[in-house]
Amino acid sequence: MFSKSGPAVPELVDKCIGSRIHIVMKNDKEIVGTLLGFDDFVNMVLEDVTEFEITPEGRRITKLDQILLNGNNITMLIPGGEGPEV
Amino acid sequence: QGSSYRLQEVVEYLDRNQDRNKEGEKKKKESIFDLSKYIDKQIRVKFQGGREASGVLKGFDPLLNLVLDSTIEYLRDPDDQFKLTEDTRQLGLVVCRGTSVVLICPQDGMEAIPNPFIQQQDG
Repeated sequence: MFSKSGPAVPELVDKCIGSRIHIVMKNDKEIVGTLLGFDDFVNMVLEDVTEFEITPEGRRITKLDQILLNGNNITMLIPGGEGPEV
Repeated sequence: QGSSYRLQEVVEYLDRNQDRNKEGEKKKKESIFDLSKYIDKQIRVKFQGGREASGVLKGFDPLLNLVLDSTIEYLRDPDDQFKLTEDTRQLGLVVCRGTSVVLICPQDGMEAIPNPFIQQQDG
C-alpha cells in the first residue's frame, strides 16, 4: 500500500486526523493527543493532550483545549498510540 | 580595474544560475540514494538525539520521512545516554520524521564490536 515513493508520509498522517496519536520527540518527551491538523513542516495541532517525561519515570502534565506542537523536535509519530507504559 | 561588479549584479547572476543544469532549466532535486530497494525489508534507523529504531520499511518520500511497520525502539541506558541496553519497546506502525533521521541501514548490516579505540597499556 505504501510502496510508492512520493508524499507517503503526509498522506498517512492525514488519515490520522481525528484520532489519537502518540508523538515521540528527539529528547525524552512524548505527547499523546487527538490530532486536529498539521502543516507542511509537521507542526501539529492536538487536543486533550497528555505530556510524558520518560526519564523521571512519570506522567507530567495533562492539558486540555488545544496545543500547537512545534514540529522541529518531532522524531516519530505513532497513529493510535496510547503513549508509554506508566 | 574592469572586473569590479556591483554586488547587485552578482546576486542577479546567482539567482539565474544556481541549481540549473547546462540547458538553464531548473535542476530537479534528486535523491542520491534509492530507498525503494529497502521496501519490505527490516532496517535500522538512528535519529538525532540518540534514539534508535528498527522496522520494516513500508514507505518513504524525498524528504526522508519514513513509514516503518512492526517498529521496535531500542532504549538507551538512563545513566549513560550513549549506551544501548537490552530494553526495547514495540511501537507498531510509525512515521519517522526525515528531519530527525541521521542513519539508515539494513538490520543485518551492522553489528556491535569491542571498542577499537581503547589503547592497550604497555608493560
